Amino acid sequence: MPSFDVLHGARITLFPVLLAYGSLALPYPLVLTLAFCSGLLWDLLNLQVITSTATLLKTPSVEVFAGTSVVLYGLLGTLMHGLRPLFLRGRWEIHVLLSSLCTIAILLAEFLVLNLKRGGFDFPPVMWWRILAPGAIALLLAPVVYLGFTILANLLHYPVRENPREPRGLHRGI
Amino acid sequence: MTRAGLIALAVFIIATGLLFSLNPRTQQKLSAAVLQAVAPVFSTGSSVKTRVQAYTTGVKSLAELEDDNKRLKTENNELRVTNQMLRDLGDENVNLRRALTYKQRSNFKLIPCRVIARESATWWSQVQIDRGEQDGIESDMPVLTESGLVGKTTIVAQRTAYVLLVADENCKVAVSIEGTRDQGILSGTRLSTGAQPELLIRFLPKTVEAKPGQKVYSSGVSGGVFPSGLVLGTVAEEPRVRELDAQVRVSPAVDMSRLENLFVVVPHKEGG
Repeated sequence: MPSFDVLHGARITLFPVLLAYGSLALPYPLVLTLAFCSGLLWDLLNLQVITSTATLLKTPSVEVFAGTSVVLYGLLGTLMHGLRPLFLRGRWEIHVLLSSLCTIAILLAEFLVLNLKRGGFDFPPVMWWRILAPGAIALLLAPVVYLGFTILANLLHYPVRENPREPRGLHRGI
Repeated sequence: MTRAGLIALAVFIIATGLLFSLNPRTQQKLSAAVLQAVAPVFSTGSSVKTRVQAYTTGVKSLAELEDDNKRLKTENNELRVTNQMLRDLGDENVNLRRALTYKQRSNFKLIPCRVIARESATWWSQVQIDRGEQDGIESDMPVLTESGLVGKTTIVAQRTAYVLLVADENCKVAVSIEGTRDQGILSGTRLSTGAQPELLIRFLPKTVEAKPGQKVYSSGVSGGVFPSGLVLGTVAEEPRVRELDAQVRVSPAVDMSRLENLFVVVPHKEGG
């Protein structure tokens, strides 16, 4: 997704929003599968390999290891899936907020890992733009994405607002 | 938690553990495979963007096109003359080197490429190009424009590659300042912004005599990535002397916000 010069190079980060909706609509094993696939894809697309020319062997090293986002996505997916009953009661705004917090948490974690690898903690103002602005964008995007997927789910007769562990009639109070 | 959930969690933990155990080279290969898979998406996005830009810049009138044509013809003639002069100088240089029994300089081949995606990451200054392994490109090859050094290749897929820009903190270049014997290490900042990123030469001697306006060239360390003599920028301000070394700010020679057509420097193989 593109970056915005007005927002000091902040980008739209869609993966956490999709993960948040997935954690509402899917059973737990599939939430973990989604977290694994999206985290891995994110890490591999953003992999930064540094080859040290200081040694004759020129061994490469990786800044943010593939799997870092998988762990974060897994934890956040589990948390959001655990809060699913709130969504079932109609409190959709909790997960919208969580989409934003998830985006911020992932970007902040990436930046902290990067600082640990390079040494010296540096927090320039632009860093906050690049972490908080995608979070704010996720906050705005999440309701639209949720609405879109809910319409799609209704069209495909997929029961998002029902607890898959319970018979369909129970949730409706019949 | 259900039994299926517990099994899924166990599989998830094991799979993540396996991921962390992968060595950097395997991760690099996996990344290249993913990059290759998504390259058509980036490429399509880039051509759509180019078309939109062409549309928004407007259609030129016939008179403007004629002016452009005249200007380009003049430029072309000038460049031909310059090219011929440089070729003569090159031949002369080779002959003189031979006469002095100097070791002949390594030959390089330039592979032209196009930027298909800009700033594809939040934390790294990098661009994606439309050439890859198929074109003889490998990781850690210098990339430049006619104005100067741009960066180096990092992850290389079959038909695409990432270029880490000199504006990034991770791209370190051994440099020397024009008119002095002082050498240092040039790199970008942790988070660069805008068209003119900040470049900084570190580890210069405290007695450095750099003046604003002097050019900065790569000095070509033995076994390093960058050959010597590539322009990186000009000294922007007086050196800042610290306890152990001096630092100099540099204005980049290349406008990083307008990268379109680049060249990858590939070593010329003997007999190839």
